[in-house]
Amino acid sequence: MHQTELFAEDEADEPGPSVESTNQEERITARRLRIVARNEAKTRQQPGEDSQGKDDIKEETRTSQKEVEQSERHMAKLQSDGLELLTNVQVAADARESDRRTEQEEACRLRREKLENEAKSSQEKFEEITRKWTDAKMKQTPLDLRDALNSQQQLCEQIIADKNKLISELQQELKASDDRYVKDLKRQANDIDLLAERMEEQVSSLKKSYREDLQLIENSFDEERRTLLTKHRKKWENQMKERSEKELRNMMKGLSLLEEYEDLLQKLRVQTAEEYNMDKIRLDTEVQNLRKKVQELKFNCYLNEDKLHYKYELLKKREEENTILKSLLKRKIIRMQDALNNLKSKCAKQEKQSKAENQSLSNDYARIKQQYKDMQKKERHFAALDAEHFEKLWLICEDEVKALAHRALETDRIIHEQQLGLAWVSPPVPFMERSGPIKQQTVRMATQAAADTLQEETREHLVEGSEGLENTGGGVNRRTVKRILELLCDEMGFLVESKLLKLLSHLEKNEQSLIKLDAIFSAIGIESEVDAYKMAEFFMNYRQHGGEQREQVEEEETTSEQGRSVEEPSDLIHHNDLLVALKDFTAQYCRPYDVQASQKSSVLGLEMRDDSEDEAYWESIANVMPESKLKLWSALDTALNKYHTALTERAELLVETQNVQQQNTELRQLLRLYTSSKASAETEIQTTRVRQFPM
Amino acid sequence: MSQSQSSRRPRSMYPPAKPVNAAADGQKMRSIIAEDPDWSLALVPFLTTLCLQHIINHFEENPILDQLMPNYKAYVLQRLPASLPLTVTANLISDESYWKRCCEVRWRLCDVSTYDNSWKRMFFERHLESIIELFIPDATDTKTVLDLVPLCQNYVKHLNVSQLLPPIKEPPRFDEDDSSDCASDMGSEGPSMDHFDFRILLDKLPNLEELNVVYGVKGCGMNFEWNLFEFTFRDCESLAKALNSCKTLQVFRIHHSKVDDEKCCMLVSQLLDHPSLQELDFSHNHISDRGARAIGKLLNRSQLKRLVICNNQIRGSGAQALAHALARNATLTSLNLRLNRIGDEGGQALAQALMKNKTLVNLHLGGNNMTEPTAVALSQALVENWTLKSLNLSNNRLGVDGGKLLEEGMSHNSSLVECDIRLTHVGQDSEYCITQALRANQIQAKIKHNYDPNAKV
Repeated sequence: MHQTELFAEDEADEPGPSVESTNQEERITARRLRIVARNEAKTRQQPGEDSQGKDDIKEETRTSQKEVEQSERHMAKLQSDGLELLTNVQVAADARESDRRTEQEEACRLRREKLENEAKSSQEKFEEITRKWTDAKMKQTPLDLRDALNSQQQLCEQIIADKNKLISELQQELKASDDRYVKDLKRQANDIDLLAERMEEQVSSLKKSYREDLQLIENSFDEERRTLLTKHRKKWENQMKERSEKELRNMMKGLSLLEEYEDLLQKLRVQTAEEYNMDKIRLDTEVQNLRKKVQELKFNCYLNEDKLHYKYELLKKREEENTILKSLLKRKIIRMQDALNNLKSKCAKQEKQSKAENQSLSNDYARIKQQYKDMQKKERHFAALDAEHFEKLWLICEDEVKALAHRALETDRIIHEQQLGLAWVSPPVPFMERSGPIKQQTVRMATQAAADTLQEETREHLVEGSEGLENTGGGVNRRTVKRILELLCDEMGFLVESKLLKLLSHLEKNEQSLIKLDAIFSAIGIESEVDAYKMAEFFMNYRQHGGEQREQVEEEETTSEQGRSVEEPSDLIHHNDLLVALKDFTAQYCRPYDVQASQKSSVLGLEMRDDSEDEAYWESIANVMPESKLKLWSALDTALNKYHTALTERAELLVETQNVQQQNTELRQLLRLYTSSKASAETEIQTTRVRQFPM
Repeated sequence: MSQSQSSRRPRSMYPPAKPVNAAADGQKMRSIIAEDPDWSLALVPFLTTLCLQHIINHFEENPILDQLMPNYKAYVLQRLPASLPLTVTANLISDESYWKRCCEVRWRLCDVSTYDNSWKRMFFERHLESIIELFIPDATDTKTVLDLVPLCQNYVKHLNVSQLLPPIKEPPRFDEDDSSDCASDMGSEGPSMDHFDFRILLDKLPNLEELNVVYGVKGCGMNFEWNLFEFTFRDCESLAKALNSCKTLQVFRIHHSKVDDEKCCMLVSQLLDHPSLQELDFSHNHISDRGARAIGKLLNRSQLKRLVICNNQIRGSGAQALAHALARNATLTSLNLRLNRIGDEGGQALAQALMKNKTLVNLHLGGNNMTEPTAVALSQALVENWTLKSLNLSNNRLGVDGGKLLEEGMSHNSSLVECDIRLTHVGQDSEYCITQALRANQIQAKIKHNYDPNAKV
């Protein structure tokens, strides 16, 4: 116990590789080895110190260990000695007991032998007595009997005496053993006293020796502890000193750092205070603004709330109204349903009626058709008649007109020859040669024109010079027209029937495009060459006006295409615009044409007369005098009128003059009367003048 | 005791009672009374204190304990008088301090360490023992014992009956013979000398593990009478049956009780195949060979670990029977045959049995009239046996040659740690050699012993 406590103390004082018993030390060394192996790389110096210290400690522990072992051995010896001393008493008692037993056995045996002998002898005596009893029975005489009885009594007394002797002997033995018992008791008491005494002695001596040993061990441990303590204290002080120095250094460093940081902190504080103030001001203003806004918002909110309340009320009312309306409408719907049913029945009736009407109307239609056919027949008849009539009328009128024209020409010629004195050249008057109404000239078809234009390509190379002459009315270049047509051909493929395309697939390119164009024109509604050219012209214009917005794109394209299509003029319409342009074109031009076409078709089999030429014809006839001539005529007319007025004035003047002359003459006559010479000279001058201007 | 309790009570735990009594003195307002350390100016005790005091005062009629709060419970337990009847306290109070007080009041010497540090167990065991020891058959009512059984049955583990009184028979006639001798209440010779019947008790103690019985009177001194030490056959019969009924018994000792062969056979026959018996002690009796044979039979029909038959009258044939049983046994660790008469015959037989046995650790053969031939056999056995640690051969005349033979045997043995050869007349040389060999074995054993705990640590 003490040892362990001491160890515990040591352990408590010494946390390092401390004083331990051998086994514990082994354990600790094992552990330490493990730890050292682990920490070897880290702390290379410390383990060395440790191991050194450990060696010292080992030596020291050995001294204490020796002490402990020695005391242990000593104590064990003391204990075993004491035990032996104590057990010696018991062993001695045992020995005595066993001796006593052997003695007792011997005594017993002797006693038994003695008893047996005694018993044998007494038995013999008893037998003798019994034998004598039988003898005594045989005896008849009382004297004999008395003798016998006396002898028997003697014998019995003898036996009894023997027995008594034995008894007394045994009683003596008993008394002796009683004495012995008492003696044994006393001895045992003595033994027990001795045992107690020895035990006490043992206890005291053991206590003493334990105490001494403990003292020794404690001393040794104390010594070890002290040395260890001094050593460790020294180490501790050294390390403390190092530590305090280090701490001082660190503190100084820390102080300087602290100052720096304080400066820095001050600066930062000032900076942040400024920033904070600025921020605060800004935020204050913001807060104020926001408050204002909040107020506004609140106001709005109140307003809105009121509004919403009002609206809500309104809506409620409306809803009520709506419900009322709904019910009303429902009723109405029901009513309407009824009406609908009525109407349906009416409609059925109507239908029936209309069917009947339809039947009658179809009948009427058939009848009217018949009538219409008759009418047509009549009309054709009348038309033929009218034509005939028209021709006749035409001829009459023409003759009249021709006569008038002739007259006009004649007058012109007369004017020319007589009035102006110029040589008259008759203007070309083609209509003079022919008579009768104008026969329908075959209109040159658009397809033909297209074919021509397409064929132009082949001819082009030969007849370059004639290109300029070929320009048609709109001033559209043939080549551009052709290109437009080709474009149309390519772009408007959707207008051509697919079957046709299939059929065309094996034809020549020009023919293909020609047929395609034919189909396209027929789809668009272009028939005449003029239309075709018009179309081309429209496209050109479209490009110039409508396509302006695409110019930029086009420019880009053209710039990109420049290398490829330098020859491609920019005045050609872009194929993307083609469709739009075509749409516009058809919208502009083709509508009236369609009406014409329908009109034309309504005339059915009748020959179509073209009035357009007639007007021109009649105009040409009317305009047989060209404008210049008419101007001339008008100028002449005015001049003549002026002349006429002059003449009339002159005539008047003449009359006057005649009157005057008459007066003159009268006067002359009077004068002659007075003076005859002066009057004659004046008349001569007047006559010459009249000769110069005959009219 | 209750007097002292009551006189102490108001001072220690009822301090306010005093000021009330001392109100007339005019001292009640003093805050300090130097002579009285328990003085307190608190004039009125707490209601809880009063209640608790009431509970304590009327604990006998109305025991309230488990319903109390822990601190009040402690308060009550601390102040309960030790004189309370056991019927109230036995199964209610488990607090050790209370039973400690009870024990200390009743007995002067109290070594609680032998009772597993349980004061309650100590109290009940010693109480029961005293009642049994003072039980006089026919005079004392068995109810005194039986009443106690339900109270103590859970706490009694060991029962050490150091005396059993014989019945008192015809005192007038006895008085005529020697009235001076009969100072105590001892019975005299008569037709029925039966002692306390254990059958009424043992089967009611479910925790009983140890029973020590002496059929005799303790401390008779010079009043010795043979009839004080009678162990009748009926006693034996009842004891045997009682033992058979007590299945938890582990240790049974019967000393100084004149157990002869017949009674031994009777006891053993009832102990055969006992489920828990581990130790049997028949020391200081009159068992001879027949009883030894019976014990030998018991050895292999039980789990006996320790057997003590010291100071009996076993001779060679009985020892042979024991040796025969020992050779086949695998449970017995300790055998004590001190102070018997087994002689060389038995000694040789036992030595041969030791060669086969692998469990026996202690063997005591002191005082058995053994001589040299036994030493021969033992030396052979020592060579063969590796389990025996302690051997006692004291008080046997082995002689110098026997000592030499033993020395030779010891030189081949490494297990024996103790060997007592005092008073065996062996030579000093061999004695020295044997002690040396023993010391070597001791050191080895110590090292082995030290290693084992270290390995565990």
